[in-house]
Amino acid sequence: MSFLSVTNVTVRYGRLTALRHANFKMAAGETLFVTGPNGAGKSTLLKAIAGVVTPVEGQIQLAGQVISGTVPEDIARRGFSMVPEGRHVFGTLTIEENLRLGAGMRADKDAVAADLAGCYEVFPMLRERRDAPAAVLSGGQQQMLVIARALMTGPQLIAIDEPSLGLAPKIIDQVYDVLLRLRDERGLTLLIVEQSSTRALLTGGRMLLMRSGEIVMEGDARELLRGDALKQAYFG
Amino acid sequence: MTAILQIVFDALSLGSIYALGALGIALIFGVMRLVNFAHGDYISFCVFAMLVPSTDAMSEMFLGSLPTIVLIPVILLIGAGVSVLSEIIVFRRLRDANPATMMIASFALGFILKHFLLMLFSSRPKSINLWPDLGLPVEILGARLPLLQLIAIGITIIILVALSAFLKRTRFGLEMRAAAENFTMARMLGVKANQVILIAFAISGMLAASIGLILAAQTGTSDIQMGVSVMLVAFIATVIGGLGSLAGAVVAGYLIGAASVLMQVILPLEARPFRDAFVYAAVIACLIWRPQGLFAPKSAKQRV
Amino acid sequence: MNAHRSVLARTVSTPAVLILVLLAIALIAKLSGSSPFERTVTELFIRIVLVVGLYIFIGNSGVMSFGHVGFMCLGAYGTAWLTIPPAMKKFALTGLPDFILQHQAPIALSLVLSPLLAAVFALLIGRILMRLAGIAASIATFAMLAVINTVYSNWETVTGATSSVVGIPMKTGVWLSFGGALFAVIVAYGYGISRYGLALRSARDEAIAAAASGVDIERQRLIAFVISAFVIGIAGVLYAHFLGVVNPDAFYLSLTFISLAMLVVGGMNSLSGAVIGVVAISAVIEILRTLEKGIPIGEATLAIPNGVQEIAIGIAMIVILIFRPSGLMRNRELRWSRWPFERASENK
Repeated sequence: MSFLSVTNVTVRYGRLTALRHANFKMAAGETLFVTGPNGAGKSTLLKAIAGVVTPVEGQIQLAGQVISGTVPEDIARRGFSMVPEGRHVFGTLTIEENLRLGAGMRADKDAVAADLAGCYEVFPMLRERRDAPAAVLSGGQQQMLVIARALMTGPQLIAIDEPSLGLAPKIIDQVYDVLLRLRDERGLTLLIVEQSSTRALLTGGRMLLMRSGEIVMEGDARELLRGDALKQAYFG
Repeated sequence: MTAILQIVFDALSLGSIYALGALGIALIFGVMRLVNFAHGDYISFCVFAMLVPSTDAMSEMFLGSLPTIVLIPVILLIGAGVSVLSEIIVFRRLRDANPATMMIASFALGFILKHFLLMLFSSRPKSINLWPDLGLPVEILGARLPLLQLIAIGITIIILVALSAFLKRTRFGLEMRAAAENFTMARMLGVKANQVILIAFAISGMLAASIGLILAAQTGTSDIQMGVSVMLVAFIATVIGGLGSLAGAVVAGYLIGAASVLMQVILPLEARPFRDAFVYAAVIACLIWRPQGLFAPKSAKQRV
Repeated sequence: MNAHRSVLARTVSTPAVLILVLLAIALIAKLSGSSPFERTVTELFIRIVLVVGLYIFIGNSGVMSFGHVGFMCLGAYGTAWLTIPPAMKKFALTGLPDFILQHQAPIALSLVLSPLLAAVFALLIGRILMRLAGIAASIATFAMLAVINTVYSNWETVTGATSSVVGIPMKTGVWLSFGGALFAVIVAYGYGISRYGLALRSARDEAIAAAASGVDIERQRLIAFVISAFVIGIAGVLYAHFLGVVNPDAFYLSLTFISLAMLVVGGMNSLSGAVIGVVAISAVIEILRTLEKGIPIGEATLAIPNGVQEIAIGIAMIVILIFRPSGLMRNRELRWSRWPFERASENK
């Protein structure tokens, strides 16, 4: 059974249709890349799943339950963690407060402490500055923080919008190392939006190609990237 | 020296009321970008709740006759209640509306509350006899100060400390601060929007109730206008402090209190009646100089 | 299909319809011969001047203003200074300049000069205020109102402080106030279709795009601010000559609330909304006032408690904000053809 299923979802902003009849499914533990040019509706797709925008049509199910039409906090509580584009750290909160906020809805307090320790192990830089306000972190560090914070919610599915945007290649490698390790260790399901699709070549997984609000192609990431299909989607 | 001390204490006690008011407004603005014009009427509501509803000139204590230890929590609860109810009945339904619409709705709500009170109590100011013993002066460093003034200052400090501990140390406080900074992101981390907003309204209402208690005790009268005049200044303090900044609101509240008292002293005799005009003009000047307020957090910047 | 007709030809039916409606109301009032009804209608027209003035600024700029009633205060006191007979002025308002103290201006002259005072004040303070945007701007207009109120409530020798200034000739009747409403509607309409109005609305809807296409938002807002101050100044003059007395607190929060309520209920982005809002709320106010006075049923009188009127208006406003935020008119204009169902092209 699929873990996440998006059926015929349409999102409109006023008169503009940002997402048109989107359909796809994800199995638990799977990695799915969503790629496509600017304005293709990638971020809207994630926002629709997260409950930040409400689809005018269609249905979204997470672990067998309908989540479309519910509020973001309930979706988050069902194991969906979203890292939106643009590094939304809480700048006036300390780094540790940011992380604890992520864990706020969890009942397993012991596991939270263990996860926090785990986070600091993966990102030692966060431990060093844990009592500093998050606003002082550099862009790359903030990206680390938001991913760590999303992981603190104890998610089953994590969706990340443009994790490598504006980061140095070395940092991007680090971010992906962490994500893939968690995928392998915990069976985390990964939904990654990336405009630069080359990363998918290294990590593998499935890929969705979007253009003008529609999913135009779906397939194995490596195969898609090898062929001309991608180019056509961008320029055709 | 004693004269200066007197000024300092006057400024602090006036500033305390403004600071509490500004805090109540900033708290709500922080979590839902609502400029709540009804806040002043919450204050009046709490004051009038101490009296028996009647349109006679004579006033009779109602809740006000309760022993202090019961009266204070009851009035705080009334403040929290009216504030929370206004969220549930009105503001919740306008959550996706633009700030101007919410502002007008709160204006309308305040108007309703005010006329509800007018209906029950008429527009005549009434005397309210709350803790008369506290009006006695005490002598500090040669200055004779009303005990009540000192208590008001002290209580405000206690409230500020308690509130900041709540915000810093508790789960709800953390969620509230996060929600004030980026509401959507907080929700995506599982922070329950309705819960945070309700708590903010409850605290804001309790702050209004404390102002009501302090004002009633200080002035000995209940006047339908008393809440509104505090609210106007508190508003302005919130804007000057940088909308969304709680600390800024408090500091600006004290600044305006100090400015008012100072102008009362400095201005030539014939200009004193216009003191408030100078204060408001200073506010406009301040806004021009720093439209985002003196201590604006980054998150409060308005998108063009 | 009307794309090639001029803006004027396409839109002129809106003020025409509005004026005809107002004219009909004026005629009914006159023909009724009932003096209380005439007064009600006169008050209605004065409110229309005020709310249409508000609309000129708020509707076109999208900036909420809580201070415009201050201009009404300026206009009302301006006409008090000019038109109270010298014998009375010398006694009550000793601080006025000698020239004003010794002369009495006709209302016609005051109807120009007093609103001009409001407009000049708006020009001066607007140069500062219009730099602000959003909530800061709204709060600053509030501060402006508070400054005006404080000054007029305390300037003993010039405004009589909080005591009412009496002796203003009571000249405002149905026709004079109708004239005011006529003027306000025409000015608002003319401004709306002028390039200034168009530029300001474009800045309201798409600030960045408008600025990029060379719209000086500050300047455009200032123009609307000054025009609206002039129109509201007229409302002040008419009101002063309607009541015969002025008092600073008549131009404070209550009136601000009622005027905003009317604008919001009608729909703040359309001229028709402003006018219809006034008519609708005024009608409700009148009905409730009558009920408050009591309706005799046989021996007994059935009356609702005093204050229900204001509470009902407040509730109506909230209900409209929640369920119909674009107001009764849904931001459309009344039109000749197929009105009111046709959507105004410039008020999307």
